[in-house]
Amino acid sequence: MPIIKRFFLLAAFWLLLSGHYDPLMLGFGAFSLGLVFYISIRMDRLDGEVEYITFGQRVVRYWFWLVGQIFVSSIGVTKLVWGKTSDLSPSLEKVPATTVPDSTQVLYANSITLTPGTLSVDIEDGDITVHALQKKSLQELKEGAMAKKISEIWKKER
Amino acid sequence: MTGVLTATCIAILVVMAMALARALKAPTVYDRILGVNMFGTKTVLFIAVVGYMTGRPDFLDIAIVYALISFIGMVAVLRFFEYTAPIE
Amino acid sequence: MSILDYFSAILLAGGVFFSFTGAIGLFRFPDFFTRVHAASVTDTIGVILIIAGLLLQTSFDLNIIKLLLILAILLLTSPTASHALAKSARHGGLLTLAESNRSNDR
Repeated sequence: MPIIKRFFLLAAFWLLLSGHYDPLMLGFGAFSLGLVFYISIRMDRLDGEVEYITFGQRVVRYWFWLVGQIFVSSIGVTKLVWGKTSDLSPSLEKVPATTVPDSTQVLYANSITLTPGTLSVDIEDGDITVHALQKKSLQELKEGAMAKKISEIWKKER
Repeated sequence: MTGVLTATCIAILVVMAMALARALKAPTVYDRILGVNMFGTKTVLFIAVVGYMTGRPDFLDIAIVYALISFIGMVAVLRFFEYTAPIE
Repeated sequence: MSILDYFSAILLAGGVFFSFTGAIGLFRFPDFFTRVHAASVTDTIGVILIIAGLLLQTSFDLNIIKLLLILAILLLTSPTASHALAKSARHGGLLTLAESNRSNDR
C-alpha cells in the first residue's frame, strides 16, 4: 500500500475515533501517527514482500452476502441446539481451497469459520480441514457456492 | 426504551454468567478457554448496551479497547496451551 | 416509542435469543468441537443483531462509526479465535466425536 494512502487512512481513523479537535489533541494525534508509521515501516522492512487484499466496494458486497449466509446457518444451528442432540452428525473432512484465488484463501477459511455450523481447523497445501456439525453442511461447502462467490468478486482484478 | 435496554443488559448478564460457569467447570481446558472467549465477547456488548442505557455513549471507546485486549489475551493463552495442555 | 425504537427492540431481543441459544449449546452439545459451533452462533449473529439494534438508537454522529468498528473487530477476531482454539485442541491431541467412537470400538 502506498505511503500516502496509508497516511490518509490512519489519519481518518484517528480523527473519527477521537472526536476532539483542539490543538493539544491534534498534536497528540500527529505524534501517535508518527510513532505508528515508524513502527510499521520498520516491520515492513523485516517482513519483505507484503500482499494486501484490496478493500473497496467488493468487500462491502461480499459482507452483505456473508451476513445473509450467517443468518441462514445460524437458524440451522439454533434448531439443533433446541432439538434432539441425536440429530448431530459431526464430521471432519478436507475441502480443497484451490478453487479461490491465492490471496483470498485466508478470507475463505475465515468465512467458513464465521458461518455457524462449519469450522476450519487447519489449512495446508491448499486444503482446508473443516469440522462440521452436520454432514449436510459439508456437502454444501463442497458444492462450492461460497468459493464461487469469492472468486467471482475477486477475480476481476487479476 | 430504557426498559428494553435494561432487559437486554440483564439477559446479557445471564449469558455471561453461563459462560463463566462453563469456564469454571468443564471437561477439558479448551472448553474453559471457549467459555472465557464467549465471556469476553459478551462483555464488549454489555459495555456498549450499558453505555446506551445510561445515556453515555462514551462507553463505546471502552468497549473497543476491551474487544482488542480480550482477543490478544485469548491468543496469548492459546499460544501457551497449544503444545502443553493436559487432557483431563 | 417511535417505530425505530420498536425495530431496535426486536433486533435486541433477537440478538439476546441467539446469544442465549449459544450459551445453552455450550452445555448441551456432546464434545468440544461441536461446542465451538454453539459458541460461534453467539459470536456472529448475536453480535450482529445487538449492534444493529444499538445502531438504530444512535442519532447521526461519530457513535455510528464506533459501533461499526466494534462489529468489524468482533467479526474479524472471533473466527480467528475459534480457529486458534480448534487448531490447538487438535495439536493437544483432542479427538473429534467420530474419531473417539471409532477408537472405542476397536
